[in-house]
Amino acid sequence: MENNPRLLVHFFRQAWPVYALSLSLHFIANLIHVYYPRVLGQFADMLQLGELTRSLVLDYSLLLLLIGIGHVVFSGTAMYLVMYVGRRFESILRGKLFRHFTGMSERFYSSNGVGKLLSYFMNDVSAVRESIAMGFNATSNAVMLFAAALVMMITSGIPLYLIAACIAPMLLIPFIVVKLGPVIRTRSREVQESLGAMTDMAEEQFGGIRVTKKFAVEPIMKGRFGRAVDQITANQLRLVKVSSFFHALIPLLGTLALVIALALGGYLAINGGLSLGSFVALTLYVRMLMNPLQQIGNVVNSIQRSRASLQRLNELLSQSPDIVETEGAVTVDLAKADITLNHLTFAYQPEGRPVLKNIQLSVAAGTTLGIVGKTGSGKTTLMKLLLRTYDPPPGSIAYGGVDVRDMALENLREGIAYVPQDGFLFSTTIGENIAFYRRDAESGRVEEAARQASIFQQIAELPDRFQSKLGERGLTLSGGQRQRTSLARGLIKKAPIMILDDSVSAVDAVTERKILSSIAKERKGKTTIIIAHRISAVKHADLIIVLDEGAIVQQGTHDELLSKDGFYRELYAIQEGGMRHGSQMGEWRET
Amino acid sequence: MGPRWASGGKRNEEQGHEGEKKPKPQYVSAFRALSGYIREHALGFAAVFGCTLIAILSDLLQPYLMKIAIDDNLLAGVNDYKGLLLICIVYFAFSASSFFFTYLQNNLLQRIGQSIVAAVRKRLFSHILKQSMSYFDRMSGGSLITHVSSDTEALNQFFSQVLLSLFRDGLTLVFIIVMMFQLDAGLATYCLFILPVIFVIAVLFRSYMRETYQQARTRLSRLIAFVAENLAGMNLIQVFHQQKEQERQFQERNGVYFKANIREVRTHVLFGRTFDILSTLCIAFVTWIGGWAVLGKQMEFGVLYAFITYIRQFFNPINTITQQWNTLQSATVAVSRIWSVLDSKPAVNDSEEGMAEVELNRVKGEIRFDDVTFSYREGHPVITNLNLVIKPGELIGIVGATGAGKSSLISLLCRFYDVDRGSIRIDGTDIRDIPQRSLHRMVGLVQQEPYLYSGTIIENITLFDDSISREDVIAACRFVGAESVVERLSNGYDTRLSERGSGLSAGERQLLSFARIIVFQPPILILDEATANLDSYSEELIQRALNLVSAGRTTLVIAHRLSTIMGADRILVMDKGKVVEQGKHRELLARGGYYAKLYSHSQGGGDSALYESLTEKADAIN
Repeated sequence: MENNPRLLVHFFRQAWPVYALSLSLHFIANLIHVYYPRVLGQFADMLQLGELTRSLVLDYSLLLLLIGIGHVVFSGTAMYLVMYVGRRFESILRGKLFRHFTGMSERFYSSNGVGKLLSYFMNDVSAVRESIAMGFNATSNAVMLFAAALVMMITSGIPLYLIAACIAPMLLIPFIVVKLGPVIRTRSREVQESLGAMTDMAEEQFGGIRVTKKFAVEPIMKGRFGRAVDQITANQLRLVKVSSFFHALIPLLGTLALVIALALGGYLAINGGLSLGSFVALTLYVRMLMNPLQQIGNVVNSIQRSRASLQRLNELLSQSPDIVETEGAVTVDLAKADITLNHLTFAYQPEGRPVLKNIQLSVAAGTTLGIVGKTGSGKTTLMKLLLRTYDPPPGSIAYGGVDVRDMALENLREGIAYVPQDGFLFSTTIGENIAFYRRDAESGRVEEAARQASIFQQIAELPDRFQSKLGERGLTLSGGQRQRTSLARGLIKKAPIMILDDSVSAVDAVTERKILSSIAKERKGKTTIIIAHRISAVKHADLIIVLDEGAIVQQGTHDELLSKDGFYRELYAIQEGGMRHGSQMGEWRET
Repeated sequence: MGPRWASGGKRNEEQGHEGEKKPKPQYVSAFRALSGYIREHALGFAAVFGCTLIAILSDLLQPYLMKIAIDDNLLAGVNDYKGLLLICIVYFAFSASSFFFTYLQNNLLQRIGQSIVAAVRKRLFSHILKQSMSYFDRMSGGSLITHVSSDTEALNQFFSQVLLSLFRDGLTLVFIIVMMFQLDAGLATYCLFILPVIFVIAVLFRSYMRETYQQARTRLSRLIAFVAENLAGMNLIQVFHQQKEQERQFQERNGVYFKANIREVRTHVLFGRTFDILSTLCIAFVTWIGGWAVLGKQMEFGVLYAFITYIRQFFNPINTITQQWNTLQSATVAVSRIWSVLDSKPAVNDSEEGMAEVELNRVKGEIRFDDVTFSYREGHPVITNLNLVIKPGELIGIVGATGAGKSSLISLLCRFYDVDRGSIRIDGTDIRDIPQRSLHRMVGLVQQEPYLYSGTIIENITLFDDSISREDVIAACRFVGAESVVERLSNGYDTRLSERGSGLSAGERQLLSFARIIVFQPPILILDEATANLDSYSEELIQRALNLVSAGRTTLVIAHRLSTIMGADRILVMDKGKVVEQGKHRELLARGGYYAKLYSHSQGGGDSALYESLTEKADAIN
């Protein structure tokens, strides 16, 4: 762990008093604990010598009780303390990670999937916590007990060679744990994976049940499922082979130690080289040590795992966000700011194919810009650059003459209302989703925005209206409903600039028209950028640009573009005159 | 649309209730359900029992052997080292056999358990697959998956943990008691008084621990869900500049989870320590009573030593058995759930007689609905007295508002449901007299959302049927115009599609499902909103493929965009379960009825209500 000190050093600098306290408590607890065999040994010796009385017997039992309770109280407290700080560490680290995540830009998210980030958040954090809590407890307990027991045995006159002979087989235990532990782990992971594969297959099968039934391929699907089940069985059996070997081997080593104690110790006891009490104590000590030795093995394994986790976490936290505010960032009044794009060329990878090529464009404050183009023509990338979720090349995008890279992020993002295409909503109430920019917005404004997005009526019909919860434990919205809610979330901001990224694509034509007219009313005199697949959405824009393979191929107003040959007119023909395909159908069939 | 939301909410509420209400485990009926499987492996279980017996022997005999060593050898003052050595050898022999039989017992039990669980899994899966569509409408996909994966896994745990523990720990406990009575009946009787106390405390603590554990688990899963969602929507959070607020909400959940964790840790430590204290108490008690007995020469010291060791051994099996209690409960619940699934009978069955397989290439494709009436719920017919004849090779377009009965008509033709009255005939044969397998092969269906499996392009088109040649697949793709799409992919036809065909656009996925139709060659084809949700380019692509695929087959097309079906041989306009108008596009327009009204709405005029009701369906399916 020494090679990645940052996270843990910080933690231990704060938590060391707790650890010190816990360690001393462990020490005391085990010091008490090792007296237990000794007391029983003395009891046996007294008995053998005939010095035992009834009151002494009572004293001895009370002493045993006291030892038991003392050990329990001290070791319990020691364990609890460290487990508590471990959980605390986990909680703080997760908070730190979350904050780190909120600072990372889209580039980071596109190279790390949610699943991978979640595994940092869950598995790696837990692995580290386990080492510093459970690992510490087990190690300190085992080491203390081992040392104390050793000292006890030596001081009670048990010959050193006898102790060594008894302990020798048990010293193999940690090695076996270290050796077999990872094998067991790998195999049990394989079992989990095959279980997961079966679950996925069941999910897929039940989801596609209509296909399976309609093509009458049930026997084939049963065969596939059967193979997945057999794989689980095979993996389980593979696992049990190692795990049962392991679970049988550890006690065997323990009994081996006992047999040696019995044979060698008994021999000495018979020949008078060892008192009966010491002999009794020895057998008890041997039993006592089995558990901690096994735990040491576990700790070694868990530390190995968590070392990798710790390294991953440190690496993650040392990544710095690539979108940062420059020092002395400027605030621009976006309501009066023209947007200018100056020779904007952009590629996601430094050496990669440019997604946008030499874009030259100026949007006057208060006007509406329409953007059309095929999927993959660079429309969404352009929006991302305008929002600075990716950094454009210096000097290529400016608001009111100020480079976007020199603007305060808060100024930029609070000044732009962005409505994404996918209509991503959070699992909270509809009202909170709409009022996302300011959770405490008054209900009147929320309702107004919902009306403008033509979703008010449908929300009003819900039993809990705006308080209805969305997501897994709540409602599921259709694509169109999600888009309209997301639109309301953008409209409520009444921001100086608004960007609609194909925001009404899943809405039917009639509703679309209603929404577009309410947007036009709301956005009168404010800068608005509309990306769309359908011509109907951009028809009334002051300026329309057509993007193709990252370059502007046409620009002008709707009427201007229609009067020219080109992509725009083609698209218009397909969409508005779409009926001709239907009539062609019959003709094709006849040929 | 309101009702749809509301019903969605209600369903979730019901599920929520189900989750909270703990179903009472019914041990007897659950065991009876399993008894068939258990009887099948009776011999195996007997072997496991035998192995367990030998396996625990060395652990049990150790204190007893020590007692002999102490009392008969060491304390007796007889310098009988040979006797002691004999004890050592016996003890080691027992240990070695214990090692061997523990291994054997574990493997044997796992083998039996696994074969039972695998059998149950396969049976469950094929049983569910046999159910008719109404079953899948009724049951949510999620709960079926739970039955197949979690419930059977609980059953697996029953075999690999509960049964193992019952065998091993139960036997150990019994033998310890026997041994104790063997050693000293009086002292053993005293100790037995403690037994119920230990059990009660253990059980009480266990249920409390389970509660705290579950609370922590629930809070953890909420935390994970929150983080997962925020990671997915981070772009939005940043664009709305809401990092601070989201972090606050995160800390709130994180804090709540931390509290639950601490509570769990505390319970855990407390439980372990309480058990330790109980064990010490017992030892002190035995030392006291036993010590007096030894003093009074009623007992030998070796017996006392053995007693103390037994008492210590006593606590382990009790601890493990109570640990299994929860697993046993959930396994029992799982078994009764699995068997309730297995008890359901498919609503649509093959009739017994005259079930000759039908040869696909001899089907002409004439469809006849005779006076068909159908309802999902009694008293609410969705189709009433429907009469309809479709000629072989005809292209039929079906339009109508949501709830007009379009989809029900299709479902009946596919025999996802059986008609209430009347009959549906294909080439003159009632579809109830056609084996379902043949019927399903006869009638092909393309849905709005093409369903793709995680597998290669080839596998997705052949549906994993190895008997279909690669050449056929390639030819089919070429035929429907999917070739260029496939060639664009990194591995061509062997590209693996993941998660419902991500990486392909909706239109491209639909093309693949058309290729499926070409490969399987159903004489009758149904397209259920197959061109909804596509952008203009993809729609054109699909329209072209549709024309190719529909040639030579009886084809029924449901569409909400009238442009899709305008060229049909005949358009059926449905309303309230009846065909209200039919004819060619021009004839219907000339008639100036319902269809003409729909058409003018779709052209963008008029009020929105009707059109919206048409598009609603597309929305709802999303």
